[in-house]
Amino acid sequence: MLSFKHIAPFLNTGQNKVSRWFSYIGLGIGVLLLLCSVQMYININQLLKERNPKKTGFDFISVTKIITDENMARDNRFTPDNLKEIQSQLFIDDAAPLIANQFRVKASAGNIIPFSTDLFLESINEKFIDTVPPNFTWQEGQTDVPIIFSSDFLEMYNVFAPSQDLPQLSQNTISSVKIMLECYGPAGVQTFRGQIVAISDRINSILVPDNFMQMANKNFGGVTVVPASRIYLRTKDANNPELLSFLQQKNYHVNKDKTKFGRIKQILQAIVSGLAGFGVLVILLAMVLFSFYLQLMIARSKENLQLLLTLGYSPHWLSKTVAKKWIPVYVVVVITAVLLTALLHWGFQYFVMKGREELSPFIHWIVLAIAIALLALSVAVNFRLVKKLLYKL
Amino acid sequence: MQIQLQQVLPTFIEEEKIAQSKIWNNNVVFNTGEKIQIVAASGSGKTSLIHFLYGLRKDYNGSILYDNNSISHFDAEKFATYRQQNISIVFQDLRLFAEQTVLQNLEIKRQLNPYHTESKIAAMAKRLGIENKLHKLCKTCSYGEQQRIAIIRSLQQPFNFLLLDEPFSHLDENNRKKAMELMEEETAIRKAAIILADLKAIEYFKADRILHL
Repeated sequence: MLSFKHIAPFLNTGQNKVSRWFSYIGLGIGVLLLLCSVQMYININQLLKERNPKKTGFDFISVTKIITDENMARDNRFTPDNLKEIQSQLFIDDAAPLIANQFRVKASAGNIIPFSTDLFLESINEKFIDTVPPNFTWQEGQTDVPIIFSSDFLEMYNVFAPSQDLPQLSQNTISSVKIMLECYGPAGVQTFRGQIVAISDRINSILVPDNFMQMANKNFGGVTVVPASRIYLRTKDANNPELLSFLQQKNYHVNKDKTKFGRIKQILQAIVSGLAGFGVLVILLAMVLFSFYLQLMIARSKENLQLLLTLGYSPHWLSKTVAKKWIPVYVVVVITAVLLTALLHWGFQYFVMKGREELSPFIHWIVLAIAIALLALSVAVNFRLVKKLLYKL
Repeated sequence: MQIQLQQVLPTFIEEEKIAQSKIWNNNVVFNTGEKIQIVAASGSGKTSLIHFLYGLRKDYNGSILYDNNSISHFDAEKFATYRQQNISIVFQDLRLFAEQTVLQNLEIKRQLNPYHTESKIAAMAKRLGIENKLHKLCKTCSYGEQQRIAIIRSLQQPFNFLLLDEPFSHLDENNRKKAMELMEEETAIRKAAIILADLKAIEYFKADRILHL
């Protein structure tokens, strides 16, 4: 069986050792850079994604328009078109407006707690509220209005209550407090009895049922369509860089703390992508260098190769055989790069991350797939190059 | 198996040479088993004809058919097969690997499509008197010795046609006869044809036909 061994004496393969070794080392470094970048990209995603396992699997974030010195004189509420645009984004699962009261509301706690204040109310689609008890409903003519109260507001109340000689309230006792809601409209004042039926950790507001708000805005405020000053987003991942870029581009304000990891992720991903790009560049340069070596080798062995073809050696067999000689080299280079990547990743997981569970100590299968693809690519490029050079003879 | 020349005419040949020729611009058929002597003066296109038949050059009009297929339509792979199985050659300029040993020169051809065993090489070398040169570099051999190496090399493969382009120019009478005998034997085993092109007719080659180019 004919093999490379038979034709080896007729080729000047030993020439230009330096450029050959440079190209091997270059290829190794390029592949290592690329594989490490991909692994780091995956690590970043895994570390900064599901930091707090969400019960529902979704993040809810409140979005407002940024109020600046320039736009503060204008209406900075969301138009229906704004809302539609937000809802149409692929990375946003759903969005709903928070509708505020368009009339004056005064609240007092009756005789038990001598306290009264002007108040604001909001309503939102029930799907967006974390705690919706069955009695959070209101019907036309009903004077009792169920209220969902923000846990943050309760906390704030408990902070200033002692200084005002008011009793502090627990989550359970607050539901027994009857709040008198005085709604001021053109036809005078109408009083409703508010009852706190639930506490919400998610929405920082005082929520009433949607249909109550519609009725009240119509009757007391005289408006039927109310633009929203806040919009709630439901998304799979509040740290999705795409979501953040969209919000930044639209000049929408969002709670920085909720998306902090997203911002870090954006920056880290940019750095890692840059590194991966550099790795690809190094691989390309190594391949160019190797192609120079091949061209030189074939040019120096030109007469012998021509004679082999004249004697009846098939150009296809020759290119296959010559190209095959470098497969073991490529295999060694790529396997070394994979092993080094695995070692670096393990070191990162063990020493930097102290073996945290979010990260597997092994490299991701995508990294292995890329390594195999690169190996196949190197072999294919090499074969095509040799074939092209041989057919040119 | 046959080779047919249909109105083959080199693109570079002078008008007056065509009129005399029995090959150029004629229809000629070479059959396996035949011994054909082509006699031609220098510059009449002898080497060109051999190269056309071997598929090294294509600067001619008309067509050359091998087994009814025009060889001008062969691609590189088909030519490789053609040269491995159907046609063998002794070039006028020999075309040996100067930096390799005589044995390497012979083996590189034999291994491609072995017709003989390796030991047969030594036997042939002995018969033509170059057995002590097998491990010498080819470039250190005399032209006459190199001619014998080229002849032995041409016999390491199967073929239907053996093309010889002035194969004995540097051999003495004795060596010519030995070489011719060896080639005729080998051709007879393969039931192949010899097409020998030379400046004048060679008397110890019993040609069935002599064609003047």
